[in-house]
Amino acid sequence: MKTGKIADIIQRLGVILVYIVLWMPIIILVVMSFSNHAIGLRWQGFTLQWYVQVLNTSKAMEALKNSLFISAVATVVSTIGGTLGAYGLYKYKFRGRGALRMSVLLPITIPYVVTAATLLLFFTQVVRIPLGYISIIIAHITFSAPLAVFIVLGRMARVDWTLEEASADLGAGKLTTWRKVIAPVLLPAILISAALIFPWSFNDFTITYFVAGVGTMTLPIYIFSLMQYSMTPVVINAISSIFVVLPIIGLLLVTFLQRKETA
Amino acid sequence: MQMVKFLSKQVHLPYVGPVGLWVIIFVIIPMGVAVYLSFVQAGSHGQIIHEFTIGNYRALFTGERLMILARSLQYAVVTNIVCLLIGYPLAYWIVRHGGRFKFLLLGLMIVPSWISQLLRLYALRRLGGDPGIINSILLGLGVISSPLKMLFNPTAVVFGLIYTWLPFMMLPIYASLEGLDESLLEASVDLGATPLNRFFTVTLPLTKGGVFAGTILCLIPAFGDWLSPLILGGDRVLMAGSLVRLYFINVGNFPLGAAVAVILTAAVLLMIYIFIKLGGEEAVERLV
Repeated sequence: MKTGKIADIIQRLGVILVYIVLWMPIIILVVMSFSNHAIGLRWQGFTLQWYVQVLNTSKAMEALKNSLFISAVATVVSTIGGTLGAYGLYKYKFRGRGALRMSVLLPITIPYVVTAATLLLFFTQVVRIPLGYISIIIAHITFSAPLAVFIVLGRMARVDWTLEEASADLGAGKLTTWRKVIAPVLLPAILISAALIFPWSFNDFTITYFVAGVGTMTLPIYIFSLMQYSMTPVVINAISSIFVVLPIIGLLLVTFLQRKETA
Repeated sequence: MQMVKFLSKQVHLPYVGPVGLWVIIFVIIPMGVAVYLSFVQAGSHGQIIHEFTIGNYRALFTGERLMILARSLQYAVVTNIVCLLIGYPLAYWIVRHGGRFKFLLLGLMIVPSWISQLLRLYALRRLGGDPGIINSILLGLGVISSPLKMLFNPTAVVFGLIYTWLPFMMLPIYASLEGLDESLLEASVDLGATPLNRFFTVTLPLTKGGVFAGTILCLIPAFGDWLSPLILGGDRVLMAGSLVRLYFINVGNFPLGAAVAVILTAAVLLMIYIFIKLGGEEAVERLV
């Protein structure tokens, strides 16, 4: 009985240790963004000056605007394209269906650097799309549309499709059926994929870094450029807070949507 | 007329057309371009000389570069084993003893997987660097007299990999453990199985799918990682991903870079093939 208790405590300590190691660096980063210490190594009283400084740095604000714009476009396009694709893959049997499924999986299974590098090759050697907004948005969609496809596919397998047939039997056109029956049924899955894709796109550094060229800054690219100087890091801490808060909001949103879906 | 008949049969096209076309243009064709370029050579100014050669592959499979490729695989395997050894017991504990903290503990694992890897690695660098927070504290306390060198070595890079990819190992395992049928475990106890016995004969085989899914989500990205070597390795400990960056961004030798990308892709596809053979379809189903 006694040894059981000790083992229990050791297990518990192990679990706590994993979570401490996982979260401590992130928490310290956020806490230091409020510290009055010039390079953020010690706690020296509360301040909001780094946040004020970020708000007054036009480059940071422009990078934020770029990031929001790129992520918004990528999310909308990927979600719509992905939903249609999932519907087609689920509903119809056609030649090349298996191959298409596998190809759609490709960008999410091969390493980011490879996707990024091959896109860079394509943009510079084949189609000559100027590197910047357009190339970044294309690259983000290339990665995130497959995510939407598989999230929506997962939902489609659990849906009762007799309603769709009923709607068609009652003489509703394809568009009406989509608007009144299919879209509402798939809505939770569509929103979940949007809630996953937006933060992914907003976070992405690797793919953007390869296809951004010079001049187009997203927030992660801006952070990376600041990281090259060892002496101005506190501003980064302030920017980083948004990257910690965003996923928490996203997770709460997804949990809420999933509860609704199962309810 | 024939055309109209053909088109009227393609009812799936409006749906799968856009995604299919997108994948062909922006995934398959670029991959094809990379394969082509990996078999030609770059001239002295980075221009491409369209003559067939296997020189790029020969260059990558010798000396220092081969070491780097082998190192990527080694680091990825170590990362995967450590993540499995931490992730499995952790998931097991949460499922069995998590109680009312279950959702919190799960959420605290999911959120880091959604935080930018760049930032998480940067946070580690702030802690372990010189100047850095740990050094600053230890120096202040007088525990050490000169700053510790914790970064820019292999240990730091592997730690960064484990730190980044642990959630991706733990979460699928958690999902498979959570879906485990309790009655099977009870049955095995009734039949006289010891706890250890039960784990290896019942629990582990039944959660094999989760372990394979976790391995795919952890091993492959760790193998292709380039940020941990860059940010925690200070570009002194290179991995295959670092070579991609080196040849595509820093040096501008596209053919050599393309060869690295092709090798990485081939290795990853081979890994996935092996996992599917070993782990069955279940692992892949769990992923999608």
